[in-house]
Amino acid sequence: MLQNAVEPTIEDYPIEAPVESGSREWSCPVSFAVTEDESISGRLLAEINLMAPWSAETRAARGRTLFGVTGAGPNQVEQVAKALGEIADDGNVNDLPAGDISWQFEMPLLIRHLVDDLRTFYHEAVAAQPGDNTPNHKALNDWIFSSTALGDGIQAIARHLTLAGDGASLMTRGLLVPEGYLAGGGSAFPTPAEIEKNTKA
Amino acid sequence: MRMRARDMQPVAPAPWITPKPLRDCTVAIVSTAGLHRRTDRPFNVGAIDYRLIPGDADFGDLVVSHISTNFDRSAYQEDPNIWFPLDRLREMAADGEIGGVSGWHYSFMGAQPNHEALSKAGEEVGRLLASGEVDVALMVPV
Repeated sequence: MLQNAVEPTIEDYPIEAPVESGSREWSCPVSFAVTEDESISGRLLAEINLMAPWSAETRAARGRTLFGVTGAGPNQVEQVAKALGEIADDGNVNDLPAGDISWQFEMPLLIRHLVDDLRTFYHEAVAAQPGDNTPNHKALNDWIFSSTALGDGIQAIARHLTLAGDGASLMTRGLLVPEGYLAGGGSAFPTPAEIEKNTKA
Repeated sequence: MRMRARDMQPVAPAPWITPKPLRDCTVAIVSTAGLHRRTDRPFNVGAIDYRLIPGDADFGDLVVSHISTNFDRSAYQEDPNIWFPLDRLREMAADGEIGGVSGWHYSFMGAQPNHEALSKAGEEVGRLLASGEVDVALMVPV
């Protein structure tokens, strides 16, 4: 196309894009036992430990990981899980988590990227499943928000951010929960009433 | 975001320049995936600056601080060329389909509510592309 164009040109690429490789079906569905009285931190660390061999397998096969945008090293998954779990359990959305990681974001925005790092780890673990039935984006979201401590932790933190009520917290809530997955329904982004309240404050 | 997009000013077409044959062109990637090197400062919400990614970058050295939670990162995790097709460009250069791969590529934060705010950084990257003798910018919106 570039060889022949004499003016700005938009053309369809003559080769069809491949059919989506992912699927809503799982080769090996992954579920975790939930004990009602266990903290998010405890459940999250248990899930991390269970999935660590699978994630390691994917990292070895790919020779890389996307984990670490928070500032954590590739092997500091437990510390990231502990940080997110404590925020979910304690509700402190203002102070940076303790520990030896040099966090690359301020609070509360760091929460958004803690979740991203953990999602990367979970996706890596799932990618080690046998067979070609890699779950697609929707299936991964369904799984995380219906079956994992990570999903429960995200919902708990969304509630903490709502209680905090300031503009940065409400925007972080919007950036935390994908559309359609907020407990109770609706968008996680600030509602008109919340925006108006903050404008007046 | 959709409401803000409605108010955006249309971008007028630039003067047409008949390009060199692709086999003689140096190609650079301009991405809005919020990609950057692990050692770089991450993008913040609404960032209107950019990061440089060297042409010899290893995908293991790159991370993503794009803010949107609604787009699928799993495909990128599987194959980074989905958002940043550096391997494909290297193959095309090796096969003689393009003249070469730029020594530098450029990354912005996507999900931008105000395109006008990006003008300064956009013009700066334009100058860098020109000074790097880049003929073609492969735009990869995310």
